[in-house]
Amino acid sequence: MRQDIQDYLAELEDIPGTRIYTTERARQGYWLNQFCMSLMKPENREAWRTDEKAYLKAWDMTDQQKAAVLARDYNLLLELGGNIYFLAKVFSTDGLSFVQAVSTMTGMSVEDYTAMMNAGGRSPDGVRSIREGR
Amino acid sequence: MARLTAGIGTSHVPLIGVAIDQDKGDDPYFKPVLEAYDWVRDWIKKPENKPDVVVLVYNDHASAFDMDLIPTFAIGCGESYQPADEGWGPRPVPNVKNHSKLAWHIAQSLILDDFDMTIINKMDVDHGLTVPLSAVFDQPREWPVKVIPLAVNVVTYPVPSGNRCWMLGEAIARAVESFPEDLNVQIWGTGGMSHQLQGPRAGLINREFDTAFLDDLTQNPERLRYLPHIEYLREAGSEGIELVMWLIMRGALGASIKELHRAYHVPTSNTALGHIVLENAK
Repeated sequence: MRQDIQDYLAELEDIPGTRIYTTERARQGYWLNQFCMSLMKPENREAWRTDEKAYLKAWDMTDQQKAAVLARDYNLLLELGGNIYFLAKVFSTDGLSFVQAVSTMTGMSVEDYTAMMNAGGRSPDGVRSIREGR
Repeated sequence: MARLTAGIGTSHVPLIGVAIDQDKGDDPYFKPVLEAYDWVRDWIKKPENKPDVVVLVYNDHASAFDMDLIPTFAIGCGESYQPADEGWGPRPVPNVKNHSKLAWHIAQSLILDDFDMTIINKMDVDHGLTVPLSAVFDQPREWPVKVIPLAVNVVTYPVPSGNRCWMLGEAIARAVESFPEDLNVQIWGTGGMSHQLQGPRAGLINREFDTAFLDDLTQNPERLRYLPHIEYLREAGSEGIELVMWLIMRGALGASIKELHRAYHVPTSNTALGHIVLENAK
C-alpha cells in the first residue's frame, strides 16, 4: 500500500539541516537551476565572470534568488529551489571543490570540516528527525 | 542465451576518477581509496569472470539532463557515448561503446514488462558512469566491455522506490536471459554509500547503516527492498538515496547469491566509499 502523499512530503521536511529537492522546490527553482546549468559552457562562464549582475539579467529568477547567487548563500539557494548538483556549476566556476563549497553550508571552516570527514564524518545521532528530536 | 553472471556495487565519487586520472595511488589520502578496487581488478581479468557487457546503473548529475527533462528510468541504446564536460573538461577516458542490439532488446522487453522506459540515443555520460569503469578497469585505451547505460532519477523527488528498483532489476534479468546470443552480462549498481552534500547537516556518514546495507544484500534483501526513502535520508544523508540504484542490481540477481568481496572506506571527498562483488547462482 502506498503511503499518504502528505505524510510522505511532511517526513521529507523533518530532517534537520536538510532541504530535499521536492517537486515544489523544483518548480520554484526551475530558472535558478537552468541559470546554473548555463555555466557548463566556457563562453557563458566567461560572460558570468566578467559581469555577474549583467549575466543574471537574462534569467527569469526572483530578486531573492539573484541576490543569494551573488552572495553565494548556498543554504538560502537550497531553500529557494536550488539543487546541489546545479549549484555545483556556480562553485566550480569559482574554483571551489565539493568539500570546500559544501563546508560553507555547515558553519564550519574548511579545515574543521575536512578534519571531521577524516575522523569519520558527521554522526547521524541527533540530526535524524526534528519532530522526534533524535 | 545471454547470462547474467554477477553484480557489482560501487560508489561513483568524482574524486575516485581524479585519483585514477592523475595517478595519485601513492598519495596517503588516495591510497586506501584505490586499494578498495585491487581485488575486483584481478578478479574481472580472469576469462571466466570477464563480462562481455555491463548494464551500468547510475545517475546523471546535471550533465546530460537539466531541469527540462527528468526521466525516472532511461536506457542508452545508441552506439557510443562520450564522457561529459562537467565544468573542468571531459575526463580523459575512452568513449563508452554500447552493445546496442542488447540495449534495444532490453528496452523493448522492459516496456512489454510494464516498465515505460525513456530511450536515449544521444547523450554524454558523466562521472556517475565513467568513475565505476575506471575504478574496475583502471586506465585502458579502450574499455574492455560494452556498456549499456541505465540512468535513474535520484535527484528530483520522488525518486523511484526501492521496490520499484528491485522489480526493474528482475525485469532486466528476464530481458537479458531472453537474448539469443551467448553473452556474459554483469549488472552494476552505483552511487552511495552514506553522504550528504548540502545544508548544515552536510558531511553525514553512517558506517553502521552502510555495513548493514552491504550485509543485507545477501542476508536480508527483503528489508532493503522495502526500506522507505525517509530511512535513507535520515540515516545515510540526502545523497545516500543513490543506494536505491544498488537494488536494481540486486533485484536482477537471483535468490541465491554469493558475496565474493567488499570494501569500505571513509572518507572519499564527502562520501563513504562502498564496494561489493556479488556472484549470481550458476
